[in-house]
Amino acid sequence: MTFLRRLAKDPFGIVIFIALFLFIIGPMISVVLWAFSIQWRYPSLLPTEWGLKFWAQTFKRADILQALPLTLMISFIVTIVSAIICLPAAYAFARIKFRGSQFFLLSFLATNAFPRFGLYITIAVIFLKLNLISTILGVVLIQLVNTLLFMIWIPTAAFKGVDKSLEEAALDVGASRFRVFWQITLPQVIPAISAALLLTFVGTFYETQGAILIGLPGIRTMPVLMLSLINNQLVVQYGAILSLTLWIPSLILLLFARRVLSGKTLAAGFGV
Amino acid sequence: MASLTFNHLNKQFGSVKAVDNLNFEVKNGEFICLLGPSGCGKSTALRMIAGFEEPSSGDILMDGKSIIALPPNKRPTAMVFQKYTLWPHMTVYKNIAFGLQLRGLEKKVVEDKVHSALDLVGLKGYEKRLPAQLSGGQQQRVAIARALVLEPQILLLDEPFSSLDAHLRVRLREELKSIQRSLGITTIFVTHDQEEALSLADRIAVMSSGQVEQYDSPDIIYAKPSSLFVAGFIGSMTLLEAENKGSELKLGNYTLPSSEIVKGKDVKVALRPEDILLADANGWAAKVSQVMNLGPFYSLVLAIEGLGSVKALFPKTSLLKEHDQINVLPNRYLIYHEDGVEEITL
Ligand SMILES: Nc1ncnc2c1ncn2[C@@H]1O[C@H](COP(=O)(O)OP(=O)(O)OP(=O)(O)O)[C@@H](O)[C@H]1O
Ligand SMILES: [Mg+2]
Repeated sequence: MTFLRRLAKDPFGIVIFIALFLFIIGPMISVVLWAFSIQWRYPSLLPTEWGLKFWAQTFKRADILQALPLTLMISFIVTIVSAIICLPAAYAFARIKFRGSQFFLLSFLATNAFPRFGLYITIAVIFLKLNLISTILGVVLIQLVNTLLFMIWIPTAAFKGVDKSLEEAALDVGASRFRVFWQITLPQVIPAISAALLLTFVGTFYETQGAILIGLPGIRTMPVLMLSLINNQLVVQYGAILSLTLWIPSLILLLFARRVLSGKTLAAGFGV
Repeated sequence: MASLTFNHLNKQFGSVKAVDNLNFEVKNGEFICLLGPSGCGKSTALRMIAGFEEPSSGDILMDGKSIIALPPNKRPTAMVFQKYTLWPHMTVYKNIAFGLQLRGLEKKVVEDKVHSALDLVGLKGYEKRLPAQLSGGQQQRVAIARALVLEPQILLLDEPFSSLDAHLRVRLREELKSIQRSLGITTIFVTHDQEEALSLADRIAVMSSGQVEQYDSPDIIYAKPSSLFVAGFIGSMTLLEAENKGSELKLGNYTLPSSEIVKGKDVKVALRPEDILLADANGWAAKVSQVMNLGPFYSLVLAIEGLGSVKALFPKTSLLKEHDQINVLPNRYLIYHEDGVEEITL
């Protein structure tokens, strides 16, 4: 509460604080209100008619019923495949010294610092030739590119954080290398890896640029569908309800991350 | 329980010779200390025995058979590391049982062994705790139990008590010594604490920049350090410059008997504080410049005209105070000369 007390002494600070609060929380409140309203006419401050009518309608729409499981499936596949590729790589980066390992690690950062759209367009051109446009495989592949950073950096940092002498002590009592990894190293990094998996899953779920460029017209993920619903000015409530629904994964992430990452896992990590 | 032989053992890290031609033997059941300053290669030597470092050349023999081809998980050695290396996600019980379970022992047997190991290190009833719920000393005792429970041929300890306070260090030292004696297990203990080495070891290997300077019993190492390096490292020692005049040494205005074995003109005389005794008016004239109370003794610094400062140890009954004028003489000293060291007793 020292924050609030300090704020109270600073009138300019209060103004900024309130402005920020309205700017961030205001739209969120309006989304929640819209989602549960049936009618909301200007200039009324609150919806004039409340109800769940639009929830029922939203989840009866064929496009939404199709997009939701599809998006979940794509996110799931991307997360699993990314883990299979990246976790062993992360272990190698953390434990084996080889020339250029720093360069490789930084190159993942570079692909993320680079304006994505340019990258996607070049990939789209290639995918067009390979007939991957508008296929699930195509979308999965483009999403994989996005996940590399989180799935390699976070676990690499976590593996580096595991004291080598813990592993040596296990070897010393007779454990095989595989068992050492499985029973000693992995349990230490589970929090960080879970966080990376969640970030990957949620990131993939929400991703739109790649999904639009590679997925359309055949594959339409939830955020893409939502964009089109909003752009068509169909019904405000559809957008609001979908927004609320799409918040669920990130809400889970937030709660989870607070519990797992509050500790030293991430902080100790990034000394790549 | 086995003997261990180092055979021209070398380890090079890039341009650093961490271990330089190690050549000595550890007898079955012996307690050996590797003693030396930081960076002299003690840990590297130990890690080569455990198998964590590969020798650049040379061999390590256990009971006459080379072990360097064996990976660490196949060697009959057990190591206690400097830092606490208990597995943080496992309970005390699981930490100790892990190695036993890998050997496929029956549950009941594992249980019995874990309990008796915990008993041995005085931690009965701590089975369910996690390492984070133990004090530093308790963690280190669990680490020792974890090593002992496997009944290794050779027990390796790398400064296991260095992060503990002085009191606990002395207590664990005594416990370790009595456990080692009762099990008769061949033990190699790395330390940079000379007092620890002197009180624990059957033999001490004093190391300096990768090499063993002297390998002897604590008594001999203390009484007759083979080089100035060892003399400076073990116990407290006063070194004085002297001139060799054949049958005598000239120290400032004083002389001391010498031996014809002593070679070279400039030599060094080394004096242990306890070998300095009060003398009559023919002795060295000294002024007490500092008195430190060590409990039963006074540790004194004496200023001697033409010689410099000399450390001495006198019983409290001597009732000396600062600025007292006294006369002293050594009754035993070492002469470090070109060809080695000579001990003179008067
Ligand atoms: N993995 C390594 N790579 C490069 N050099 C190393 C490595 N391990 C040790 N050294 C070097 O080898 C020398 C001996 O190191 P070692 O760890 O054996 O010393 P130590 O006697 O155990 O010292 P301390 O008492 O500080 O633990 C040092 O100069 C050290 O810098
Ligand atoms: Mg060391």
